[in-house]
Amino acid sequence: MFGDTQNVAPVLRRVVDELCIPVIWDSPRISADFVILHNPSFLKFQNSLNAQVIARELIVVTHENFLRPGGEEGFDVSNCLGQIDASAIALRKTLAPVSAYNRETVTNWVSRFREARHWQVLEADWFNIFSTDLCHPCDMPEDRRGRHSRPGFEKFPPVAELDMCFPKHAKSNVILGANALLDAGVHRAHWKLLPFDAISVEDFFEMIDFFVYFTAPTWQESFGRVVAEALAAGKVVLTDPKTGKTFGEAVITCHPSEVDGIISDFILHPRRYHEQVSRSQSALERYSVQNFRAHLSKVLTPERGVPA
Amino acid sequence: MIFVEAGTRSIRSFDAQLIFAQKLTARGFDACIDADYLPEDAGRGRLYEAANFLTDPEEHVAEAVFVLGAEEVEDLLLASLRQKQLGADVPVVATGRFKTQQSYVGAKARLAFALGREASVIDLTDTQPRSMLPSAVSPLVAETRPIVRPIGEVTDVTVVLGSMELDNPETLSCLSRMSSQGDYGLKLVVSGAQNEFITASHFNDLPRILYTDLSPLTLAKSTDILVMFGHGVAGDRMAELAVELIAAGGVVIDCTEDEVLMSSGAPALLGPKTLFALDGYLTGKILGNTSQIAEQALKSQWLRTIEISRLETAAELVAKPRRPERTTQRTLFLPTNGVGLGHAQRCAVIANALPDNISPIFAAFPSCVPIARREGMDCIPLVARTDTKDNSNANDILTYRRLSAALQEGDRLVFDGGYVFDSVNRVILEHGLSAVWIRRGLWPKGRSRHTMLHREGIFDRVIVPSEAFEELNDAYSYGDHIHYVGPVFRRVIQSAEDINHLRARLAERFGRDFKQLVVSMLGGGVASDRSAQLQAISGMLEARTDCLHLVVTWPGSKVQPAVFGWKNTRVVHTLEATKLCLAADLVISAAGYNSVHEILYHNIPSILIPQSAPYLDDQERRARALSDRELCATITETEFMKLERTVLDCLDDGGVEVFRSALKKIKLPEAGAAAAADLLIKT
Repeated sequence: MFGDTQNVAPVLRRVVDELCIPVIWDSPRISADFVILHNPSFLKFQNSLNAQVIARELIVVTHENFLRPGGEEGFDVSNCLGQIDASAIALRKTLAPVSAYNRETVTNWVSRFREARHWQVLEADWFNIFSTDLCHPCDMPEDRRGRHSRPGFEKFPPVAELDMCFPKHAKSNVILGANALLDAGVHRAHWKLLPFDAISVEDFFEMIDFFVYFTAPTWQESFGRVVAEALAAGKVVLTDPKTGKTFGEAVITCHPSEVDGIISDFILHPRRYHEQVSRSQSALERYSVQNFRAHLSKVLTPERGVPA
Repeated sequence: MIFVEAGTRSIRSFDAQLIFAQKLTARGFDACIDADYLPEDAGRGRLYEAANFLTDPEEHVAEAVFVLGAEEVEDLLLASLRQKQLGADVPVVATGRFKTQQSYVGAKARLAFALGREASVIDLTDTQPRSMLPSAVSPLVAETRPIVRPIGEVTDVTVVLGSMELDNPETLSCLSRMSSQGDYGLKLVVSGAQNEFITASHFNDLPRILYTDLSPLTLAKSTDILVMFGHGVAGDRMAELAVELIAAGGVVIDCTEDEVLMSSGAPALLGPKTLFALDGYLTGKILGNTSQIAEQALKSQWLRTIEISRLETAAELVAKPRRPERTTQRTLFLPTNGVGLGHAQRCAVIANALPDNISPIFAAFPSCVPIARREGMDCIPLVARTDTKDNSNANDILTYRRLSAALQEGDRLVFDGGYVFDSVNRVILEHGLSAVWIRRGLWPKGRSRHTMLHREGIFDRVIVPSEAFEELNDAYSYGDHIHYVGPVFRRVIQSAEDINHLRARLAERFGRDFKQLVVSMLGGGVASDRSAQLQAISGMLEARTDCLHLVVTWPGSKVQPAVFGWKNTRVVHTLEATKLCLAADLVISAAGYNSVHEILYHNIPSILIPQSAPYLDDQERRARALSDRELCATITETEFMKLERTVLDCLDDGGVEVFRSALKKIKLPEAGAAAAADLLIKT
């Protein structure tokens, strides 16, 4: 079910070890009051979950958007949920979106597919916990722009928009995760293109003052962890309105054609830059461990069978 | 321009791209393939096909984009699509055979990421649930356009051997018997390994082509009945051939072990599983019933599943049948570039004999271009072969491109040469040309007759310009299409006054009077190095103050620097060698077809020094035929003493008069240029 590599995220591994919780791999039977299954799209290349789930409530956290912008399916959702359905006996089956945008795709998909209507959609977002040290913004911002992401084509806007975001007149333009651009020979003398993992994210953030992040218009971040990282690093983030929806006023939402004007304005008014970073970092509080604990306590309620 | 892309880069994908681009072209669209798709190991045949379509993407604006084999989408495709920065109104249509909904959704998503908008993705398994080749990258679509059959005078049967092993000694014997009977014409489509096996066998004259020798569309044009053996269909090309042929009203017989054509629902016939029963099956059940079989096949619902118009509609394209650029038939002469200019000279002579209402053009290699232009004919320049090892047929691909551009269906191509180039073969078959092969005889010993003749079948007529003496006229093939005409050579009429005037001009030109004029025409050293003979002749004539020795070559040919050191010897580059020969007292010449016949028919005393090379005609036999009749002297390349004696005998002891007298008496056949021209206009 989980593959052969058995990799565990370092943070999770640390917590599991501290609590002395044994990790059971590929158990044929998963039985608990609550079973939380993350990211159903991991089933998209298989035909069966290969495990039986018995639970009072099965919560499936939908990390990947069910629909892409425009309404096309992001993956074969019916097949993935069908595998879970076929393997799970539960009083309640719940889909837990991770963000407002992710919720929109999940509810739209459920309303479109009759056979999936027995899935409840959790009212509150099962957001990503984001807990990291916050960095101060620089004193005097310069026109040093950059972006980083995994190298997939979905993470990058059309070349014409990249040109608008990272123009010749900027002091520097750093694109980390630019494997596809490098492979395709899309070079600009004023771009510093770095393959994914070429430098550390910390080093990358040292090189920029503005994080300019647009994706392919046919794809959307379900949460936008890279955006949160940039905010924590003390950078002003410019992105499209849909990606920005998750972060509210913490980011500047705009079209690529507006990027230049916005950055010029911040450079002319460093105070505004500092205010924006300060506002952004306050907003990150929403994704704290405490807030997630509060969220979880609203899910694991006596009404749902959890002793008070 | 319509770009044809593929999900992956491989030989198979490239085949699919080529074939689909050809189909779009046949439907009246302009299609191209990004040159980056050309595989390193494309092979000879594919390079010709690719030459019509490969382009640098920035050279064209995309009108539509097709992506084939979208069940697997590599990053290279996505990069290619993204780099094109297609406008929002440019349709992008992808086809694939998706095994799961996820593979469909995944491919659609990846294409959308690169494009920034959705592509129209067509799952071919919707319409072709049981494909004859489930792994095909090709969409396997065609235009249903039945044509009257048989196409030629006899029914053409193409047999694809597929994975058939040839180790049973009876197999080739059986095929040989089938190819020899007259009820149908047999052609095999074989793999490289099968071809090698056949070549090494006693049946190496079996008519056959490799999978990539011709495109499936061209092959379908010359096939009435297709028979497929082996296990499964042998790749995209053969699947396309079957689809194309059924759509064109041909008959397809499924002899595969797994009955793969039948199980796909295609309106094929279930044939015998063994080759040994095929002949009886064809003659007993099929040949008399082909039109009824095709008629039934065309009623099949399966044809709807292969309609190319479905893809065109998805791409918002409307087919526009190509109209011919000209309404008049064009006649194009293509002389090969042999050692000399003989092929071009002969073509020019025949072209001049054509009626005035035909204005032929030439396509000729650089050395031959002046000959055509001298006769007032338009000439498309071709590029001569180079010795580069990496792509030795690059010039022929260019020839193919230029001929393709110059000719259209129904035009007439006249090829004069020995080996029929791939370019000539393809252009004739692809454009449905009237084709004539002017094929001189006297092939050298040891030349593979099969190699020379295996493409004879593409020509409507073969015109053989005869040798003057009957014993030299060997027959190499037989049939109603073979026509022998008298010797074809250039006639020059030059009066005694003209000759005296020319000799006076030569004296003036070279600043010395002379009584005797000797002309040496021993070639440019391409086939045989005659520099030693030239030196010997120049040396023996050096002391003769009343003699002028001209070394005559065609413009552009190389002359050894040593020749320039003699006082009595001068080098002349000219296309008018015959006029100089007529003015000469003695000609020392190689024994090429044109030279010898000009010497014969113009009564020019001569010494012949035959050239020899594996690719040359048998010059020694030709020269001996003359010297045996005492019409000239024949000197071999090692006979230097004899050469000296003979030259001196000719100049000092009346030898030239002996030859001239004999030449005047000999009865020669009528020249054949007019007859050849007459045959051409009847083709």
